[in-house]
Amino acid sequence: MSVLKMLFGALVSVNSILLALGRSIAWVLIGLMMVTILYQVVMRYAFNAAPNWTEEFARFMMLWMTGLIAASGYRWGGFVSIETAVRSLPRLPALVLSLFLLMLAQTVLVVGAHIGWNEVTGFAGTFRTATLKTFFFPSIEDGWQFGWGKMPRSHMMASLLVGLWLLILVNVELTLKTVIQLFDPHATFPRDPAMISAGAE
Amino acid sequence: MLIWFLPVFLTLLLIGLPVFFGLLAAPGLLIWWDALIRGDITYMRDIALLYRNVYNGMDSTPLMAIPFFMLAGEMMNRGGITLRLVEFAQALMGHFRGGLAHVNVFSSMLFAGMSGSAVADTSALGSMLIPAMEKQGYPRRFAAAITAASSVIGPIIPPSGIMIIYAYVMEVSVKDLFAAGLIPGIMVGIGLMVITKVMADRYDFPVASERASWADRGQASLKAFFPLLTPVIILGCILWGITTPTEASALAAAYALFISLFVLRTMTWRDVPEVLKRAALASAVVLLLVGAAMAFKTVVSLSRAPENMADFVLSLSSNPLMLLFLINLLLFVVGMFLDAGPAIIILGPILGPIFVNMGIDPVHFAMIMSVNLTVGLATPPMGLVLFVASSVSGERVETISKAILPFLAVEIVVIFLITYVPALSLTVPRLLGYAG
Repeated sequence: MSVLKMLFGALVSVNSILLALGRSIAWVLIGLMMVTILYQVVMRYAFNAAPNWTEEFARFMMLWMTGLIAASGYRWGGFVSIETAVRSLPRLPALVLSLFLLMLAQTVLVVGAHIGWNEVTGFAGTFRTATLKTFFFPSIEDGWQFGWGKMPRSHMMASLLVGLWLLILVNVELTLKTVIQLFDPHATFPRDPAMISAGAE
Repeated sequence: MLIWFLPVFLTLLLIGLPVFFGLLAAPGLLIWWDALIRGDITYMRDIALLYRNVYNGMDSTPLMAIPFFMLAGEMMNRGGITLRLVEFAQALMGHFRGGLAHVNVFSSMLFAGMSGSAVADTSALGSMLIPAMEKQGYPRRFAAAITAASSVIGPIIPPSGIMIIYAYVMEVSVKDLFAAGLIPGIMVGIGLMVITKVMADRYDFPVASERASWADRGQASLKAFFPLLTPVIILGCILWGITTPTEASALAAAYALFISLFVLRTMTWRDVPEVLKRAALASAVVLLLVGAAMAFKTVVSLSRAPENMADFVLSLSSNPLMLLFLINLLLFVVGMFLDAGPAIIILGPILGPIFVNMGIDPVHFAMIMSVNLTVGLATPPMGLVLFVASSVSGERVETISKAILPFLAVEIVVIFLITYVPALSLTVPRLLGYAG
């Protein structure tokens, strides 16, 4: 049990750092999204010169914002579920049911991450975005060419993959927590000091 | 095999699997099981299709309105805009018997024009008005109940996060849905005020303040002028086609930030990261859900669930009026256990096509579904705003659940009026050019 608790403590620390980093990038991204769309409106009405890249760039930021911060929402109980069954059961069956649900969620996430990796590194990821550009460093695949070019879609698609990886880490943390509760009814867990409630409605 | 996917999905949901995972696990499990029986090893290709639908579902410009409206709502809360709205409402209605209860409802209607969230409404107005009402002698349970009941106006009067989700998932125009929500939202507000008046006379509720002089009303209006411009900007831009809903939502967020920082000076730059973080967090959870819903929607149509469901529904009755009654009952029960957004995501693709094929206007059906499920946010036992009102007021959820019943009765009457009088939903969109 002490090994399990040590493992849990270490994972909590790693997750806290990663998720805090994700949140810090995510709030900058949502701010930039707003500025980008405002720029689009101003350019269209004030200068009659609507830029063609703004919508795709804002979507790029929205996808990354989602990927980087969604796991924080999951960790803090922001994913909607009907908890009546778990709540109405006695402690032990409730924990076993929770464990089963976490395993199921883990399966979804691992399969998703596996497919996501194939998508990002495979054929679908090689298509280029319509307007976004990125700097290419010299590489064998590009024949050692470098310079600015259209961004591969994989750069956008990686947002969901990173989101799934973070969700996997959080799900493992929640699973370990449930296992500890299963064997140690008196175990206490400190509340995450960074917690924000995620209201979707 | 796919016909089992709805029962499997509902079972997973009922035992407590988060909706996001359920939307993916149920079709994924059945695709895998089906392939196993057939000895087909290419099932990962079909499961990969689910993944692609999640990604493509999230990669959408109209969906950007969700984070922006959430951002606008957060800015309103943090920027002290709520206080000005309450002062404005009090100057107009504070002298009525049960004045603060009326102020509560009217403030919700004003707040609804700026934020499409019932939770934001309950927490923002509740934290201000529930203690004030208690101080004036209202029972705390009544104050919490009227706050929760009136907060459901938030997602009905535009802008509305729930309607953006509905429009995206069901391919209906956001503009038409926003226009359609105006009259139903106002009707809920008026209905709540009528029942408040009846209760105020019966239980001798206090008046909040002396009748405000015209000078005081003018001053309160002036203080609320900039916040009250927000719905004008949002709705004006969208309904008259000046901007897209996404652009209007970004304008609303920027406007709320500007007036909070520079005009009202109720927020500092230091508060901005926290506000952005809260909006990003709430939006990410919704966006992920919408992405999963798009994958779910594909499997719903492949499974022929709408057709099977339609056969079942039509076997109950062929009278559309009766079916609308039954569907309202179903939605009401679902709303008791599930929040409006996920419920729309799950039921929209199944129920929408059935009723549209029966000749119900898509915008009218969207209103029936949205208003019913939104009222579900305040219905016991799982109504989200009941829990928020409980945490804001310190009153037990069970107590608020009892106190809210008269208000829910009014909201149910409004739901049936909207259901059986399509003009209530369709007049404004038609005036603005909707051809349906």
